[in-house]
Amino acid sequence: MLNFFADPQWIIPNIIAPFIFTAVALMFYGNVSNSLALYAVIGGGMMGMWGSTLYGAGFALSSDRWNGTLEYVLGTPSRLIWIVAGRSFSAAVLGLVNALAILLIVVLGFGANLGIVNPLAFLLALVLTLVSLSALGVLLCSSFLLTRSAQVMTNGLEMPLYVASGSMFPIALLPFWSQGFSFILGPTWGIDAMRYAAYASYTGMAFGYWADILVLILSTLAYLAVGFWLFIVVERRVRRDATLVEI
Amino acid sequence: MIHELSDWYPFRIFVSSANFAFRALFSWLRPEMWVTQLLALPLFQMAFFVYLARFVQPGGTSIAFVAVGNAMQVSAFASIFAICNLTSEEKWQGTLIPLISTPANRFPLFLGRSVYQIFNGMATIAVGFVYAKYVFGVDFSRADFLALALVILITSLTMTGFGLMLGSLGLFLRTAMIIANIFLFLGLLICGVNFPVSTLPTWVQPVSYAIPMTYGTTAARAAVQGANVVQLAPTLLGEIATGAGSIVAGYLLFIGFEALARRRGTLEEF
Amino acid sequence: MSLNVEKAIVVSDLCRAYHTSKGIIRKKREVVEAVKGISFEVEHGELFGLLGPNGAGKTTTIKMLTTLLTPTSGTARVLGYDIVKDVMNIRRRIGIIFGGERGLYYRVSGRQNLRYFADLYGVPMAIRDKRIDDLLDMVGLKERADLRVEGYSRGMKQRLHIAKGLVNDPTLIFMDEPTIGLDPEAARETRAMIRGLVDKGKTILLTTHYMFEADELCKRIAVISNGKIVALDSPSELKRFVKDITVVEIEAFGVSDKDLATLRLQAEVTAVNAELEGERQIVRIQTAKGSEFIPIATKILERAKVLDVRTKEPTLEDAYLKLVT
Repeated sequence: MLNFFADPQWIIPNIIAPFIFTAVALMFYGNVSNSLALYAVIGGGMMGMWGSTLYGAGFALSSDRWNGTLEYVLGTPSRLIWIVAGRSFSAAVLGLVNALAILLIVVLGFGANLGIVNPLAFLLALVLTLVSLSALGVLLCSSFLLTRSAQVMTNGLEMPLYVASGSMFPIALLPFWSQGFSFILGPTWGIDAMRYAAYASYTGMAFGYWADILVLILSTLAYLAVGFWLFIVVERRVRRDATLVEI
Repeated sequence: MIHELSDWYPFRIFVSSANFAFRALFSWLRPEMWVTQLLALPLFQMAFFVYLARFVQPGGTSIAFVAVGNAMQVSAFASIFAICNLTSEEKWQGTLIPLISTPANRFPLFLGRSVYQIFNGMATIAVGFVYAKYVFGVDFSRADFLALALVILITSLTMTGFGLMLGSLGLFLRTAMIIANIFLFLGLLICGVNFPVSTLPTWVQPVSYAIPMTYGTTAARAAVQGANVVQLAPTLLGEIATGAGSIVAGYLLFIGFEALARRRGTLEEF
Repeated sequence: MSLNVEKAIVVSDLCRAYHTSKGIIRKKREVVEAVKGISFEVEHGELFGLLGPNGAGKTTTIKMLTTLLTPTSGTARVLGYDIVKDVMNIRRRIGIIFGGERGLYYRVSGRQNLRYFADLYGVPMAIRDKRIDDLLDMVGLKERADLRVEGYSRGMKQRLHIAKGLVNDPTLIFMDEPTIGLDPEAARETRAMIRGLVDKGKTILLTTHYMFEADELCKRIAVISNGKIVALDSPSELKRFVKDITVVEIEAFGVSDKDLATLRLQAEVTAVNAELEGERQIVRIQTAKGSEFIPIATKILERAKVLDVRTKEPTLEDAYLKLVT
């Protein structure tokens, strides 16, 4: 986690994009009504969190590779997974800061008044989404370990995620065949849950707030399970081939 | 024994730098990765804004506007981000000083290194237009393809020039990474990519017109609707002027930065 | 066209001050005078050494002479060209070898590095590849020339630096610590190469920390301390500085700083230097008393464990220590 904070300037790409995308969305809205502003903020905040999770997973890992410390980290008894989970979570939380910044800018810049109908539910959805994001980060991290170029992957992955998770528009708009992919992303459900909590009359995905929460929890567990399994695979492979020694 | 420098010297620097950049890039970039990025980047960026537009259905812009605008803007990754990183990469590697120590003129040197990204930018835009037609349903029935090709070429060249200027600026201010990222996305907001420049606050508009892409998106949209080269000439000339202006500014910045660093003794930090 | 000049380098009262500001809220401006008016000359075909502790100003001097830094005052001419006004003419004609891990392109091969720089220097195409082959041969990188530099060992990178510095066939070469970080074998080969270059008529200005290296290679040495030249002479002349002195060298464990301070305070002790060699300390005491000092020293060091005591003839290192402390 310390590595991550040591190089703050590297987080910038993942902060700037969400800001600008949100700004574009707001420009599209024209006259910004409160509910639309909220939509944009949730979406923008989500993108910010995605961005920093991805970033945290990929960069921390590839900087390990650069430093050659990865071998040592893999050797420690405390499973790599806990270390990565920690990093991933802190990255997601950092994304929350990002989201708050977007919130501030929207409120100050566009003068919107954001009222959330059910704050507690919103908070629950938010926290669970963060957890889900971190779990996803862990999963991504483990799959990045198998490839040589984690950083390039993180650069490419944010856009598809912004689109697929329906951060700025309902996924119902997306082509039918792609919606499957959207559904397996935990945060998609998370956003939906947050919108349920925020708006009085919102019809999002078919099953309502608690269904969303349920899927969030299930998906988080699924990610962790797969991630865990992948880490074991990676550790085994490393001991066998010593592939991670070189960059 | 000191040799005479041939008249072809600047040209040789250009070619050698271009060649060198290719080799360095392809030593680690695998074709699959390049193709994936080429195909994926335009698709998802365009998808995001097109679907957003479909959802919000804002006045003052249309799906076609957004699709064409983004098809052009996707080149920013090549022409701004990658180019801006040229100088800072040299700095991190510690090779900026050896380069400066040679008598080679910086202009053909960095221009040569940019050649690949110019082509990359054009290819990305072309892919974007293919998506515009086949995925997002933009109507190309009246399009003037020759004019469009010219717009793509000029935009890629001028935006690369703009990127070079940003690279020099970033080197001087030591904030290359931040500048690269800001301008990578800023275009989405102020270059008439998603909505006309006229809808922006008045104080922003002069900035928009200082960036070649603003002219590029206008020209591209006109070409798709049937405008020919002659009709586009004023816009294209404006674009070329801004592009040329930024290259000159970038070159002067670099030379100035070099002289300043020598005086201050901060060359190592660069 | 080169100017036909008598001396390769002429330095006249060169000064360089750095302005730094400390602190964020209340900026305190400081002026650090790195070089305080040095003057010297280097002959054609000479191997000239610049010696001095860290921060003495030798790196600043070499940066000024290689046009990477402008002086605050004073002038210098390199191969007849002014270091401020004729920068491009100088850059074409000199070779710069600063070494280290940076300064090479890692993602391409050694040969490609050399080719690129050859192009940037405008080396005629007709002779470019042959010259590169010869250079690779000379530095012993012929077999590994086409492998990526990221895979090179430290020694190989240093050798590539040398080849790169010679790619434009310079008449004058600046080398900053050319053997630092090399294993003894590689360092020896490098020194042989340097001698070979001088034999071919090149002029070399070299900075080094290694006294024996300066002694072995250089025709003349300038000792820089605190931004000024404190001595400029051939190695043998410099050693005369310490000709009345014997060095008492003590190998021990557990010598404290207090002990060293006490030693320094003794009458007729000119300098005391302690180095760590593995786990042992080597304490070198310069004294006119010679072996008579040994009982005094052992008494001062009675709390430490003394392994061995020797007397030695002073070396260039001792002269250097005397000059800079």
